[in-house]
Amino acid sequence: MTESTAELVVFTLTVAAVATLVILPPGVAVAYALSRWTGPGRGVVDTVLSLPLVLPPTAVGLVLLELLGREGPAGRVLDALGIEVVFTPRAVVLASAVMAFPLLVRSARSGFEEVDPRLVAVARTLGDSRARAFFRVTLPLAWRGVVVGALLAFSRALGEFGATVLVAGNIPGFTQTLSLAIFQRTQLGQDAEALRLAFVASLLAFVAIYATEWVTRRRGRRTHA
Amino acid sequence: MSLELSIHLPLARFPLTVDARLTGACVAVLGRSGSGKTSLLEVLAGLRRGARGRIVFEGRVLLDGEARVDVPPEARRMGYVPQDALLFPHLTARQNVRYGARAGRPSRVDEAVALLELEPLLERYPATLSGGEKQRVALARALATDPALLLLDEPLAALDVALKERVLPYLLRVRDEARVPMLYVTHQLGEARVLAREALLLESGRVRAVGAASDVLGASARSLLAGEADGEENILEGVLERAPEGNTRLRVTEALSLWVPDAPEVPPGTRAAYAVPAQDILLSTGPLTGVSARNVLAGTVTAVEPASAGELAATVEVAGVAWVVRLTAFSVRELAVSPGQRVFLAVKTAACRRLR
Repeated sequence: MTESTAELVVFTLTVAAVATLVILPPGVAVAYALSRWTGPGRGVVDTVLSLPLVLPPTAVGLVLLELLGREGPAGRVLDALGIEVVFTPRAVVLASAVMAFPLLVRSARSGFEEVDPRLVAVARTLGDSRARAFFRVTLPLAWRGVVVGALLAFSRALGEFGATVLVAGNIPGFTQTLSLAIFQRTQLGQDAEALRLAFVASLLAFVAIYATEWVTRRRGRRTHA
Repeated sequence: MSLELSIHLPLARFPLTVDARLTGACVAVLGRSGSGKTSLLEVLAGLRRGARGRIVFEGRVLLDGEARVDVPPEARRMGYVPQDALLFPHLTARQNVRYGARAGRPSRVDEAVALLELEPLLERYPATLSGGEKQRVALARALATDPALLLLDEPLAALDVALKERVLPYLLRVRDEARVPMLYVTHQLGEARVLAREALLLESGRVRAVGAASDVLGASARSLLAGEADGEENILEGVLERAPEGNTRLRVTEALSLWVPDAPEVPPGTRAAYAVPAQDILLSTGPLTGVSARNVLAGTVTAVEPASAGELAATVEVAGVAWVVRLTAFSVRELAVSPGQRVFLAVKTAACRRLR
């Protein structure tokens, strides 16, 4: 592995990990709220949250670019605060985070839906506040869904391309991830190099997906024995 | 205890409306499935939104719609034991029992573990426990928080007969030794009789009767629970004694004792509970001599009421203890059994089954 490949791998893994960590708290909160929300409008919220899964990633990237660009509503605020996002590594994290968010929420939500709300009720009678019961009963029983969701989100972030290229560009050594690098090498006619990077990317993806499978399949000895 | 209830809760099929003042240390709540028994417990525990009215327990207002008081479940000190135990599956039995223990608050963890004999089970996860063991852990979990009132939702209903008989003595110990007031939901008359001195009968969300168990648990309770109260049993508690000739006797009261199957391994003085099925008792209008049954008890009929199809239930008072005897309608006519009549009951030793 050349030094530049190592740097690419480290950068890609870091971006995916940071993106996953950033969406973890809001993702878990949204997933939990959706699992307990039975009122009207749930279907609409559900659909909107799932859009990034099916929209062309470039469309998502375009929306982000419009929002965060100098002239965009969020961009102006960030500009005033002196924070640059577009065409920086922050934009890479943001694009990956947005694309990965629905995967985390879907998996975590089904984890929460499996928790019997009556267990939480019992915890309340044993002296737990709502919040305490969440951390002592709900979350430990739903952790599998949350972990699987986080791993899926991480895997998705590893391979993100469309949204990233629009909002972060493809700047070698600055915003270039593995998937962006593969694209660039093919454009430059360096097919062998592109293939080598594709192989490295496959390895990373394999490990991430295998971990997901491992968590899903490992039957809880305690809870399902 | 002192529990004042005046509550109203809309349910799917009918509203639950309960106005009652309960004072017994153990109150049985009876009713058919779906009559609102579980909802009543959930309202008391603070787990039901939408309940209106007023709940005052031992002078403390837990719910008051007008004053906008609605104490959250974690501050009500109600020990709730649901029908299916609902142990936390990710925690061991020990962690389940300790769940409600908090630094700086009285805890009865050790006492609960000893009382329910959980020591050998403590390191196991709920998935590996039997139904009866789960119920014992759930009881201990509730007791360990030093609750002001135990809310027991048919703790025996999910268990088969053999397991039921293993758990009932623990309930008696909780009542007598832990001395926590309890509200006991059941649809078994036998359980209600042995556990409670006071009873509340629910029918489609309304109070059908409330008061002393001996008054409430008669004909109306039996007809209300018809079909669900099969296998009615007399449950007797007392102290085991060894007779000089080497047999085992259960002393229920000063004036009433019962020969039970010999149990030489049990030390005299042990408290025990026995079940005698109501249909295994022979009733005679004349003195019984020359019968093989060792227990012949003289008593007075206090009620004859319809039970299940073609059968009647006679309540016979023997030395202050009410016995229920199932008779066919034919026998009742033939013998002209009626209230006030002196009768004799014959109970075979083998019909007395120890609950443990």
